Amino acid sequence: MTWKDKLIDRMPPQWAQEIDLFEAQMALRKQGKIDEKVFAETRLRRGAYGQRYDNGQRHDGFTTRKLPYSPLTKGPDTYWDAPGMLRIKVPYGGLNPTQMEVLAELAEEYSDAICHVTTRQDIQLHFVHIDDTPDIFRRLAAVGITTREACGNAVRNVTACPLAGVCHTEVFDVTPYAKALAFYLLGHPDTQDFGRKFKIAFSGCPDKPCALVNIHDLGGIAQVRTIDGKQVRGFALYVGGGLGAVPHQAKLFDEFVPEEELLPLARAIGRVFARLGEKKNRNRARLKFLVQKLGIDEFRRLVLEERRTMPEDPSWRRFFDEIPRYKETPAFEAVQLNGARRPEGFDAWAATNVYHQKQPGYATVTVALPLGDISARQMRLLADLTRRYAGENARTTIEQNIVLRWVPHNRLPELYRDLKAIGLGDCGAGTIVDVTACPGTDTCKLGIASSRGLAGELRWRLAAKQATLDPSVRNLRIKISGCFNSCGQHHVADIGFYGNSRNVGSYTVPHFQVMLGGQWARNGGSYALAIGSVPSKAIPDLVDALTGRYVAGRQGDESFQAWCARIGKKALKEIVDPFTVVPPHDQRPDFYSDWGDVREFTIGDMGTGECAGEVVTLTSFGFSQAEAEAFEAQLLLDGGQYQAADEKAYQAMLTAARALVQIENPDVPTDPAAIVSEFRTRFVDTKIFWDTYAHGQFSNYLFARHEAADARYTADTARKTVEEANLFIDAAHKAHAKYRQKQQTSP
Amino acid sequence: MSTHKIGVKFFVKEATTVAGDAFVPVFHRWIQQQAVPDHLLVDVADYAHVHDGPGTLLIAHEGNFAMDRDEGRLGLLYQRKQPLAGDFAQRLRLVVAIARDACRRLECDLSLEAIKFRTDQLLIRLNDRLAAPNTNETLQQHRRDLEAVAAETLGVRAVTLQRPDDPRSLFQVLAVPA
Repeated sequence: MTWKDKLIDRMPPQWAQEIDLFEAQMALRKQGKIDEKVFAETRLRRGAYGQRYDNGQRHDGFTTRKLPYSPLTKGPDTYWDAPGMLRIKVPYGGLNPTQMEVLAELAEEYSDAICHVTTRQDIQLHFVHIDDTPDIFRRLAAVGITTREACGNAVRNVTACPLAGVCHTEVFDVTPYAKALAFYLLGHPDTQDFGRKFKIAFSGCPDKPCALVNIHDLGGIAQVRTIDGKQVRGFALYVGGGLGAVPHQAKLFDEFVPEEELLPLARAIGRVFARLGEKKNRNRARLKFLVQKLGIDEFRRLVLEERRTMPEDPSWRRFFDEIPRYKETPAFEAVQLNGARRPEGFDAWAATNVYHQKQPGYATVTVALPLGDISARQMRLLADLTRRYAGENARTTIEQNIVLRWVPHNRLPELYRDLKAIGLGDCGAGTIVDVTACPGTDTCKLGIASSRGLAGELRWRLAAKQATLDPSVRNLRIKISGCFNSCGQHHVADIGFYGNSRNVGSYTVPHFQVMLGGQWARNGGSYALAIGSVPSKAIPDLVDALTGRYVAGRQGDESFQAWCARIGKKALKEIVDPFTVVPPHDQRPDFYSDWGDVREFTIGDMGTGECAGEVVTLTSFGFSQAEAEAFEAQLLLDGGQYQAADEKAYQAMLTAARALVQIENPDVPTDPAAIVSEFRTRFVDTKIFWDTYAHGQFSNYLFARHEAADARYTADTARKTVEEANLFIDAAHKAHAKYRQKQQTSP
Repeated sequence: MSTHKIGVKFFVKEATTVAGDAFVPVFHRWIQQQAVPDHLLVDVADYAHVHDGPGTLLIAHEGNFAMDRDEGRLGLLYQRKQPLAGDFAQRLRLVVAIARDACRRLECDLSLEAIKFRTDQLLIRLNDRLAAPNTNETLQQHRRDLEAVAAETLGVRAVTLQRPDDPRSLFQVLAVPA
């Protein structure tokens, strides 16, 4: 019995097929039949990411040691056996208890018994072996979760405000729209040829921070308009936002996009990005650079033109029609808390972790997770508590927490007691204590300094004095990234940090760039000022100094952001400057290692990021898929399933032919007749798919099989088709090379 | 069906005397000194901030070592990941031996203020819900081997095995002298 056997009836067939295909691609990579670059992007698009030290070397504090993995690689400079990270997409953060139980099981069996909630509502597992991924995918698919396109140059997790549907300030619940767009674009042919990742977020209102629309490639803020006397739902649509080393505020694409235009317009934006976006220079390949280069007006014109002329894709209707059917049902009757007895600590917890929903008598409870981490056992027990108090309704948040929704007020004390019993009753959610951090040097190949180490230290220190903090400081946000790539969203924090380093004598010292006055509200409304770089070990004292000066100097109810703007960069720098001094090594050796790491600091462990993956052409992807299908056909043949083997081999030829046709016509349909027709016209009649000696023999394999669809299937006929499929794929590779050569030599 | 994903945990005698982050430098030192035979030591992961979580882990290709705090009980957990030769009992003995070596190494570490491991209890875990679900059938399938290896490890004639009720849990037994 395998997980595949056990779960075959519980997985959506399309997802099951994709996982089988990936497993076949893994087998082919082990045989050296898939190029490592193509395999790297293939696994990234399944959420399987590299991790620090997977290049086979690590500095142990004294010297850089080789990690002697077996030589097989899963990407350039990335060893197969090296543990990796698996990112699990959770659209709009929505989780039910069954899914939470499976996540707990996977963390225990394949990872380090920790589920990590990310700043984009994903769940990440670390230290995962690539060989385990197909079974992990199957177990997730059986409960409705896919990791497809969680990494790589693709549409990443679609995020949304975790209070959507229960929030007082929202215009309407954006949840079903986020869900519809997430699944419409998942694996869509028009989102497969991006030069870089593409992030989408939805917010129910313009003023709150919960979805950070302004930092996304595409973002929608709910709007309602009266048109012809009718209330029409729609979105203020923003494009081209993004953080990273070069942050961009999103530009308004349209003040009001009616709801039925949302999916087709998103597709048109994807098509323009795929066609005109940068492919060679990954540092300039996000949508924000394309919008900047063209200008928002020209970008808008091109998208609207694309919207008018692109081929029909009626499939969006299927997702859109689900929207009115979406309904979140409370599992329990709403009862007010009134004067019920409250356990010790309850009031402080309720003040920060309980949100009173717009539905009277119900609350959303934030379960504060330190550094976004929750143990497998806690996750399983939290699933129980979700069932007991919130029914099916949990969500992850971009502040790396989990919320339970629809909790009746009268049950809050009981829930608090139960959360405390499993170590999840910390107060301070959404306050200065609730520090957000990306994985940084703990696991990320790009990490420079320990964002989690610093976050843990700050959390510990601030929690100890939480009760005595000035109210104006209590609600500040601290966000930390391990490098300038901004996964910790430091640009939109009141107090943000990103990791860098400085050379002091013969040493390298971990530092953080101090970023002040970012706007978390208004969906990440403005970005912070860079003030200066401070040694990592001096940061906690700097935070005390900054917050102290703010409390002393603020005017009225002036926000931290307004205070920073008023006193100006020069004054802020004067506060920061005393903390920039690095004491000599013999006096403070601790300054020369990072938080939570006893090794002397080095940046020698940084690797090549996989965030964008390799830019792999649609054709290369198509060939890789065709090869995997031919491999599956061989396995089916070996198992005596002749008809299935024949059909899979035929499919492999179609996939390879389509991959070629897509060079000239990206919109070629998946219909076999259309593929064969276009393939014949574009590649056979032109003698590109043509062998000097065999002439049209290889193309005839496809034509003959296409015309003999109702043939009888025997071992011999199936074997012949499988062999022909392999020859056809080889010929397709040659034709591709010939085509490229012809393109290069054409005037 | 059997599994190679065997875990063994020895509990510490006085958990309260050991600071949460005390094991981070120790495990880094093990990597520097290549202290664990037949293991490719990769990295240290610290989850001391997670209540009753996996604690501090030394990640290795063959299996992870953790100063684990699951259910509030600190102990050295060795969790095998890569296959071992032999039948179930032989594999279990090997895992116990690796875990016991790690415990001895920790007991000799001067930075840990004379940490000692209990020799009157042993937790054995099968980290594989497909091959070894937490059922009575799994217990019956492995009972003889579990009892035999646990008894010889604890130096007693017989042990009793206590298994958690929750069918969602990993299969694990706490072996104590009968």
